[in-house]
Amino acid sequence: MNWRKLRTLLLTVLILCLIPATRYYQIDVPLLRLLRGSHHVDPLSLHLTGEFVENNLGTEQNPDGSVTVRMIAQQYLFIPHCILVPAGAPVHLRITSADAVHSLTFNGTDYAVKVLPGTISETQLDFLTPGEYKTACREFCGAGHYAMRSELKVVPREQFPALHQEERGSCVAQ
Amino acid sequence: MLRNKLFQRTEKSSWLRPTTLALTFLVGVALAGVAATSLLEAGDSPPDRVPSNVAWTPETIAAASAGDAFRGMLLARRCDHCHGAEGFSSVGYTPNLAGMDKLALWKQLEDFRARKRLSRTMGPIAESLSSRDVADVVAYYAKLPVFQDSQDNRIFPQNPPEANHAGVASHLVSFGDGERGIPPCQACHGPVAYRPGVPSLATQNADYVLNQLESFANRSRTNDINEPMRTIAALLSEDERHALAEYYGSGLGLQPGSAK
Repeated sequence: MNWRKLRTLLLTVLILCLIPATRYYQIDVPLLRLLRGSHHVDPLSLHLTGEFVENNLGTEQNPDGSVTVRMIAQQYLFIPHCILVPAGAPVHLRITSADAVHSLTFNGTDYAVKVLPGTISETQLDFLTPGEYKTACREFCGAGHYAMRSELKVVPREQFPALHQEERGSCVAQ
Repeated sequence: MLRNKLFQRTEKSSWLRPTTLALTFLVGVALAGVAATSLLEAGDSPPDRVPSNVAWTPETIAAASAGDAFRGMLLARRCDHCHGAEGFSSVGYTPNLAGMDKLALWKQLEDFRARKRLSRTMGPIAESLSSRDVADVVAYYAKLPVFQDSQDNRIFPQNPPEANHAGVASHLVSFGDGERGIPPCQACHGPVAYRPGVPSLATQNADYVLNQLESFANRSRTNDINEPMRTIAALLSEDERHALAEYYGSGLGLQPGSAK
């Protein structure tokens, strides 16, 4: 193979790679769904069965000291609207969307989770000091997108068990 | 002597043979295991709380919108007494049904039937309907005009909202409150956008809207899928709930932007 042929081949491959790269916003949902194939959930029947039924949302204390937070992103709310987690414990976040593509970000941190309908987005968050974080959707999702905000409260570890008693660590009513 | 007797007994009775004993032991262990796991499961996880049996799959939407409006008209005569002959109620606590979205009304009737939304009046009535009846009644009410009311039965439009309420409500309807995470009402309840199963509120009774907002807030009504309305109603203040009820009850929802 001479240099010319190799160059043509390399250029062709590069261009073929560039086309999907410029169209990422169109193919991200199917692509990520493919990559997260094992985490498929039906976005229309989250409330009927499975992991994201109503009483399973919110913070769950694990035996090893970490917590699991399950959330649903829906036009135009994060559910539960307020999340309570203990400081210093690893937070395993599991979130899925009931309709459009959303993105969960925590103001003042680098955490950003892309939320797609049909798949569960998983990530681990660490909040070391107690405080309050405003969360917001950073992926345009419709007419009420800019009001799609919620809250995450990090409380000291020793206070968490007492606060966690009611409604799976939700702090909506407080 | 004694030893011998014992030995003989074990030899004679099949119950005490080693193989039988082992089998019994195994079966016992297995049964105990099953019982223990089922007990543990029952103790560990409470039953799933399902807000509504309805999921907006294409099949559900097709079934909900395939009603026969003429048959629905005949069936709906038993609704006249409370919901009005033309779908406009003369009682504030009873919702107006004229022009009600098919999917919204269908979901509520299905929830009444399944006891997911509790009502002493509507529960028994909805249970007396078959799923075909529900689709037909829904098709009829969806066809009723919103703007005509020859019998002048309706109490809509009602009193205009108080001066300070009008601005509060119109801001919540158009923009929501980003600081508290309250989305604008019109993003789901129209006229900007609708979601499947979400009613338009433009011609609803003020008392009914207020009553429902309060039931969502104190969680006596729990049939909203993924709890959007329970969350939002709890975030609204008492005053804002009244303001929103007055806004929709006075027909301002028909001309958004007219209250400033």
